Parts: sequence; C-alpha cells; structure tokens
Amino acid sequence: MANEIALKAPARTAREVPHTVSPGLWALAWKRLKSDHVGMVSLAIVVVFILMMIASGTGLIAGDWSKEVGVNYAAPSFIGADIEAGAPAAPAAPAAPAIPATEYKSDVVDPLADVLAELKGEKKPRAASAEPPAAGAGEKSVDPLADVMADIRKDAKDKKAEVAEARLPTLPLGGDKWGRDVLKKTIKGSETSIFVGLAAAAVATFLGTLFGAIAGYYGKWVDDAFNWFYSVFNAIPYLLLILAVAAVLQQKGTLTIILILGLTGWTGTFRLIRGEYLKHKAREYVQAADAIGASNARRMFVHIFPNVSHVVLVQLSIYTVGFIKAEVILSFLGFGVPVDVVSWGSMLNEAQNELILGKWWQLAAAGTAMAILVTAFSLFTDALRDALDPKLKGLAGA
Amino acid sequence: MGSFDYAAKIPGLEAVDRYTLRIRLKQPDYNLPYVLAHEPTSAVAREIVAAYADEGGRIMSNPVGTGPYKLVKWVRSSKIVLEANPDYRGFVWDFKAGSDPEDAQIVKEMKGKKMPQVGRIEISIMEEDQSRLLAFQNGELDLMNLEGPLAPKVLNDGTLSPEMKKKGVKLSRFVDPEISYHYWNMMDPVVGGLSKEKIALRRAMAMAYPVAEEIKVVRNGQAVEAQFPIPPGVVGHDASYKSSVKYDPAAANALLDKFGYKKGADGYRTLPDGKPLLIRYASRPDSLGRQQDEMWKKTFDSIGIRMEVQKEKFAELLKLEKQCKLQMRTAAWIADYPDGDNFMQLLYGRNIYQSNNACAQIPEYDKLYEQALKMPDSPERNRLYHEMAKIIETYAPWRLDISRYRNMLVQPRVLGYKKHPILHQEWAYIDVAAEKK
Amino acid sequence: MTAYIIRRLWQMVPTMAGVIVLVFILFNWIGGDPAYVLAGKISNQEQIDNIRRQLGVDQPYYVQLWIFVKQVLTGDFGASWSTNERVSNILATRLGPSLTVLVPLLFLDTALSLTLALAVAYVRGSLTDRMVMIVCTIGLSVSVLVYIIVFQYFFAYKLGWFPVQGWGNSFLENLFVYSSLPILIALVVSIAPNLRLYRTFFLDEINQDYVRTGRAKGLSENRIMWIHVLRNASIPIITHLMAGLPGLLLGAFLIERFFSIPGIGREVILAVERSDFPVIKALTVYVAFATMASNLLADLMYKAADPRVQLK
Repeated sequence: MANEIALKAPARTAREVPHTVSPGLWALAWKRLKSDHVGMVSLAIVVVFILMMIASGTGLIAGDWSKEVGVNYAAPSFIGADIEAGAPAAPAAPAAPAIPATEYKSDVVDPLADVLAELKGEKKPRAASAEPPAAGAGEKSVDPLADVMADIRKDAKDKKAEVAEARLPTLPLGGDKWGRDVLKKTIKGSETSIFVGLAAAAVATFLGTLFGAIAGYYGKWVDDAFNWFYSVFNAIPYLLLILAVAAVLQQKGTLTIILILGLTGWTGTFRLIRGEYLKHKAREYVQAADAIGASNARRMFVHIFPNVSHVVLVQLSIYTVGFIKAEVILSFLGFGVPVDVVSWGSMLNEAQNELILGKWWQLAAAGTAMAILVTAFSLFTDALRDALDPKLKGLAGA
Repeated sequence: MGSFDYAAKIPGLEAVDRYTLRIRLKQPDYNLPYVLAHEPTSAVAREIVAAYADEGGRIMSNPVGTGPYKLVKWVRSSKIVLEANPDYRGFVWDFKAGSDPEDAQIVKEMKGKKMPQVGRIEISIMEEDQSRLLAFQNGELDLMNLEGPLAPKVLNDGTLSPEMKKKGVKLSRFVDPEISYHYWNMMDPVVGGLSKEKIALRRAMAMAYPVAEEIKVVRNGQAVEAQFPIPPGVVGHDASYKSSVKYDPAAANALLDKFGYKKGADGYRTLPDGKPLLIRYASRPDSLGRQQDEMWKKTFDSIGIRMEVQKEKFAELLKLEKQCKLQMRTAAWIADYPDGDNFMQLLYGRNIYQSNNACAQIPEYDKLYEQALKMPDSPERNRLYHEMAKIIETYAPWRLDISRYRNMLVQPRVLGYKKHPILHQEWAYIDVAAEKK
Repeated sequence: MTAYIIRRLWQMVPTMAGVIVLVFILFNWIGGDPAYVLAGKISNQEQIDNIRRQLGVDQPYYVQLWIFVKQVLTGDFGASWSTNERVSNILATRLGPSLTVLVPLLFLDTALSLTLALAVAYVRGSLTDRMVMIVCTIGLSVSVLVYIIVFQYFFAYKLGWFPVQGWGNSFLENLFVYSSLPILIALVVSIAPNLRLYRTFFLDEINQDYVRTGRAKGLSENRIMWIHVLRNASIPIITHLMAGLPGLLLGAFLIERFFSIPGIGREVILAVERSDFPVIKALTVYVAFATMASNLLADLMYKAADPRVQLK
C-alpha cells in the first residue's frame, strides 16, 4: 500500500509520509501458524470434526443412530458376515417343557376383564403351546384374559401388519450389541464428546480466568482469600472432588458432566492467569489507564485482558483435550451421558467386555476417532502456542 | 438401646447346657428350620463375642466355631484365605448320585474320602469380568463364577464350547433360586393405586416389555423368563405355570388408548386428565443399570410414554426404596432359604418400608398370604400361591422378569464339585487332584 | 529458612480447616446413608435407626464435625462402616501395593522422559524432534481405558508374558511379577505428556543467554545440556513431579481395579460406593496433607537448586 501511495503522489509532505501499520499480535500469530505445516494439517482435521459435529447436531447426519438396524454384534462390512454373529438365542425353557399346563380355576376377578373383552371381539381360546411366549404366539387357556388378549391381537393384525424390518448382517463399521450402527454412533458420539469437551473447557477457563483476574489484580486480602480457596480445592483429591460434585448435581444429563468437569478443573488456569495479572498490574500501560480515570473493571477486562488472551486461548485448547479424555473415565465410573445420548465414553464403556468376545469394532472405532481428534487438537494447540509466543520455539529451530 | 444385654433372660431361648440350645415357639412356624440353617444365623459362644467384638459388636473378622475351615487372612474387598481346621471332627464322603448324569462321575471321584480334603482356599474378589475370565483361562483360578456378559465366550447355548471341553473344563449350571422383577410404587400418585386406569397403565407397561430380548441381548442367553413369583429350586415353585402377562405392544397401546392416555402433539401420552405423564425409572450407575435403562427406553418409546432415568448409588436406592419414594425400579431377590414364603412375603402389606419394595397393599393378596403363612408346604398352600400369582398379574404391582443361570467354571483338576443353590460354600465337599497342574 | 518453614506449616492450618469443612459438608449432605445397606435384606425402621445411632450419624452436625476435627488431630478415624476394619489398618495395608506400582513407575518415568526430552530438545526442530513429538501426542490421545483393555488381553492373555491379574504375598513377587504389566501400561500413558512438558522446560532454558555464553566459551554440548540446562530446568520439573505425587496415588484406581491390586485408589472408589465416611474422611485428609507437604517440599528444593529464588 505504501508503494502505491508513493507512485500516485507526486510529492510528499510531512503529513503524507507513509508508514506501515505494524500487524498486531493476532495477525502475526496467524502468519506464523500458516507456515507451520503440522499445525495447519491439525487445524484442518479439527475443523472437519467440528463441521461433522455441527452436521450431526443439526440432525443432518447420524440422526437415527439409535435405530437397531443390524443384527446384534453385526460384523463390519469389510470383514464379512460373521456366522456366529448375534447373541446366542434364548435357550429353550428348562426342566419341564413336556409337562402339560395344569388347569387352576382362579377366583381372582380381573378388574379390566370387561374392558379387555370390549377391545376384542369374540374369540375362542386357542390350544396351549409349550413355546416360551413371543409376540403373536399362542396363548394358554389358563389365562382368564385369553379371549380378550387374543381379540386385541386380532384387532391389531387387522389394522396393519407391522413388519419387523429385516436386520442387516453387516454394517460399515459393524454393529454394537443392540445392532446399532457403529459408524453413526461414532459420528454422533464425536458430537457429544467434542461438545462436552469444549463446553466444560469454556466453563473451567471462564472460572479460572475470572478468579485469577480478580485475585491477581486486587491483590492483598482478596488474593489471600482466593488463594485459600484454591489451596483447599487443590488439596482435595481430584477423584473425590469429581465424585462429590457428581453426587451433588444428581444425574440430569450431559449438562451435569459439563458442570462436573468445569467446576473441578479451573485451578490450573487460575494459577496462570493470576500470575499474569500480577505481572501486568505493575506495568506502565495500566498505570496510564489509571491516570486517565479508567475504572478497575475496565482496566481488568478492557486493558489487561487482551494482553493475556493468548494464554487463555491456549488454556482453553488444553482443557478441551483433557476433558474429552476425562469424559471416558467419568463414563466408566458411572457418571457418563444419559441413556438416549451416545459419546465416545459410553461407547468405550460398552466395548469393555466386547474385545474378549472377539467383537473389536466398537472399541476400534471410538478409540481411533478419539485418537485422531485428540492428536490433531493437541498438535494444533502446540502450533497455536508456538505461533502466539514464538520465543519458545527457539532461535535456532524451525 | 445401646449395647445388647447378653445376660438378659429371653423367654423361649434357653441354653440348656454347653452344647444345647432350646427354642420354644408360641405358634407353629414352618420356616424356622430354614431360618436356622440359613448362613447368617448361627449360635456363637458368648465368650467369643466378649473377646473379639469390635465397636460395632461384630465378630466377623474372628469367627470361632466348629466348622471345617478357619479364617486365616481377610483383606477386605480383595482376598479371603481359609485353612482347614485341625480340630474339625471330619466326615466321610458318602452321598448318593441323583438323576443328574454328572453325579455318577462325582460319586466315583469322591466316595469314601475323609473330608475336608482341600487344605487351603484362597478367594479373590475381582470386579472386572475380563480379568476374571482371563485369569481362569490362564490357570490362575480353579473355580470361577461366570457372569452373563462374557458367557458367549465359553458357552454355546448352555454347554461349554468345544475348546473348553477339550481342556477338560467342567461346568456346573442351574437356574438360581432368584427372581428379577420390575416393580411400580403402589403408593405413587402417578403409577400407583388400585383404580382401573392405574391398573391399565401398569399392565400396559408390563405388556410392552420384551423379556425375550432382554434375555438375548442383555443377559446373553443366561437367564430364563420368570413365569411364577417363586423360582425353580424353591418349595412352592410350579414349573408348568405360565404367566398371563405376555409381550404385546399392540395390546398395550390399545389398552392405553382405551383408558384415555391420549398422545399429545409431541407424540407422548398424557394422563387421562390431560396432565403430562412422565415415568421415573431408577437404576444404578453401572453397566447393567445402563442396559436396563436402554431396555425400558425402548419399551416406553414403543407405547409413547415419556421416561426419565433417576441414577443413584445402590445405598441411596435402597434408602429411597424403603421410604417408598421411588416410582419404578428393577429389583431382584434371591432365596435366603428354599421356601416360597421367602418370595411371597415381598408383596405382603405389612412388609411395606421393609422388604415390600413395591409398597403394595392389596387386601385380597394380604388375606391369602396370612392364610398361607399358617400352612406347611401342601397342595392347599400351592393353590393359595397360584391365586396370589394371579393377583400379581392382574393388579400388576410387579412385572416378573427373569431368573438367571448360575454358571460355575471348574478346572479339570477340581474333583467332586457341584454348585449348590442354597448352600454357598462347597469347600468341605471337594478335592483337588494335585498331579494334573 | 526455619522461619519460612514454620510460617508455611502455620499456613496449612486454615487450608486444612477449609478441607475438613468442605469434605464434611459434601459427604454429609450428599454422601448417602450407609445404614440401609448395612441393615441387610430384611430390616425395619427400628433396626436402621439403631445402626445410625451406632455409627453416630444421628447426632447433630456440630457434634459430628467436632468429632471429625478430633479425629484429624489424633489421626484415628475409627473403623470402616462397612467392613469394620480399622481405617489406619486399611491405609497401612493398601499403601504398600499402591507404592509397589507407583515408586518404580516414577523412577522409570522420570528417567526415561528426562533423557528423551533432553535428547529431543537437543535436536529441536529436526525431523526426529517432530516425529517423536507426534508419536507422543498420538500416544496420549488414546484413553487409558483402551490401553488397559487391549494390553491385558494381548500381552497377558494372548501372549502370556504377564499374569492377567492378581497380587501375591512376597514383595519381590509383587514387584517383578504382578506389577510389571500395570507399570508398563502406566508408563505408556504417562511418558508422553511428561516428555512434552519437560521438552518445553528444556527449550525454555536452552534459549537463555547463559547457554549462548557457554557455547561461546567452548563448552561441549553434552556439558551444557546435562549439567547446566538440566540443573536450571530442574525447578519446574521438580515442582511438576511433587505436585503430581498425591494425585498419582488415587489416580491409579483404574489399573488397580483391572489388575485386582489391593491399593488405595481402588479403596476410595469402594468407599464412595458404600458411603463409607470414615475411609473417605481419612483418605481425603491424608491426601490433602500430602499435597500441602509436597508443595512445601518442592518450594524448599526450589531454593536449594536456585539460590536466587526468594521464598516469600
């Protein structure tokens, strides 16, 4: 831009002396990041995952992950249908399949007898069958409601035949014990896990930054109070803290997990930000802000915060990775996502007993997806940190 | 209250001499012999309690008796080590074979031996299924309780897989004298009560539950559907009885429609008066609890009822249950002693806040129960039990679920082992062949 | 120095007080009622009340809190509510197995990560550096649960190199036979993050002026790395190690559970499951104390390693 001005302007006056605008921290960081190949590849992978998360969150893909489309433990397509696939059939009734049903005349009056009779028409009781009861199978004549039940069933059959969908013998990445598609579960699970990781990281970073800022800025007894609170929190074993918070919050869904992780994980950020605020508080620009009459809050958040924001960003990244992994452990301890939600943690938890049965695909899928994302995120965090604070990379290094 | 006064005279309980305890009853109690044979009930010398009791008054870390083994080491929740008691009077193994074909082999291995043969027993507590099974297959364990999740690895439909048979591993298997059942809190405003519409609600839920699928997927085939409130192996059980409660989601839906549980705009049913309907299912935060949640989620979805899961630790579940504050849960009861009364008492009105976790008080049921209480095992009592089973099916405080198989894996070198459903320790009746390692 | 130590010990008191109150509130409020489990299958309200009386949970809160404080001061937390084993005995017997796994792990981990980190920092920026870091990152992106399941299945069962689980009676047997696979798994999980961290510390030092001066003076790289850089980087390394110690004790609960090692981590999970308050109280207080003590120790070692450091 400076050159263009020089070309156009015939002469330069003092007022028109061009100067280059020096790029700010973020622009410089972005430039550095762009030249870091590993960092960019990682960023790309993370972005892909986040796009997948959004697509899955809006229901575009994997919305029907909970449908049981395959046989139990369906094998992955690239392996081929497993002749042993499916859980073993329920064994025949033990001990006495040949004993005919004994007739007991019952005196019990069924309060619903008239209603059930009304719901059905007239139907003669069918002969007794020795098979264990299944939908639509024969009824026992022992049953005082047999007629009534038979008629309801007849009614239902007349309406429409609800065809049970055929279950697929193989699925792209295999099926779990219920026959749900592992590929869809992995996609939906990544949405949950990443969301939990990001949200919990946001909570923890927010708390840590807020507390750290207040403690570091105000100092004296405020700092002492926060430090005391921090020491107490830190001294209690992390495991117990998690279990305690989990018990307090009572299982109410994914929000609980986010709160558990967020409310217990802020201590690291607190220390860091407090140190930063202590350092910056004494600097001249803050004194200058004071001189122009900026309030404490303004000084804390408008003046100082932008200078520590790169630390906060890196912390956010680190926490995300940590919390995604922690969610797996929480699931193992029984504080995972509720039953209608799937996450990598719940998948790995289910997969615990599957490897030894030879069903390795759910473990592999969730484990691999998590490994790819966490690796990419970690490498990206490294690149981010290097880009924002190049001193660490060293003068001699790349 | 406070400490127990062991010197106080209690009418009916009398230590006649050093080796005799006399109990006098005011009225017949046919269950007393069973209760006395039950493991937690033992007569213990007073000097032992005085010497070893801890602050809780318990002496379980120093049991002193005349049995075949003594406790040598106890690392809580980890390991128990027993060693043969040298002062034990001993006995000669002299049991007769029953109808089971495997009995003949056991008699051949053990007849005439002076018991106990095994000198040292180490019992390990291992929570993880994989650890347990791998340890057994590696030869690190002689006996192992095979739980459902890994059963498909070594069992084919109830018998050992060919590779296990080739190694000479034996299987001791029978249906445990226990029932699992889903109960609804009869004192709960949403699901409880004896009005027709509440009965219809419960029966619809019962009809919508696919027990066969639970057995197949959750239990890996290691259970049978419970038809009668008294399980196999317990006096009063009727193997030919078939419950009238059948899996029929269409009928369940029709029943709910009929009683005014209309579906709202969101596809979920409301109460007949239009208020929202939400069922709270309570379960433990472990792997089984999660699978139970999934089973019931499918069930409720198939009849259009909104469901919410309440997760609590086991201790908390028990507390809320005993206070009748839960709405619905899946519970199990294993026989303390092999008499049907042990099961039928679970719905007796006077046991509310104790073992009656459905908090049920059905007048007809209670009347029949009190009559049955006065009877020994007999066709008359069985008839009463059948009536009571019908009442359970009709009023639906419960939906019977399953009875699980007990599978014990036995290494080839263990001789004479046959798992007993009620007597839980077989140590004094088995032997180990030292040569085959 | 002594004045500093005394002041730090004195400062522990309000922290410990905070821990006591927090634990008390948390577990009294939401810890659950152990009486119902202890009462057994068939019990009535009278029996449950009696048990609660025996355990002392029917007394007013301030009485229970005072009892708790006395317990902390005397170090005697009574007996476990569920198994009646004395808490001091529980801790004494469970600490051994935990340490048998932990101490060798710490030695191996520190030795390996320090060496590798130093080597990698030396060739910073090179392909080796990047490859090692990427492998590390991949390594720590797999959940420890996956490692345990897979390693136990393959190395213990399929290949038979280690026992699948268990714990023996002799110390040597425990150390060499039963701890091997657990230590291996823990090593795989913990080397990666430590390596990355130490590398950062070393790089921080390598960029300092004194390294340039050293090179200008003609010192060999080896001497610079091993003696000067290591010594100066030791401060953050020590702090990191010490801060992580108490957490390691309890954090091994997954490994202890899968390998049936009767250690402290496993004990904590069981205690919480059973609302066994004495055990929970004792463990929390001891670990809190250990955390504060190790922080103090780290600060003191700070001073010993770097005289410039002003202890305030």
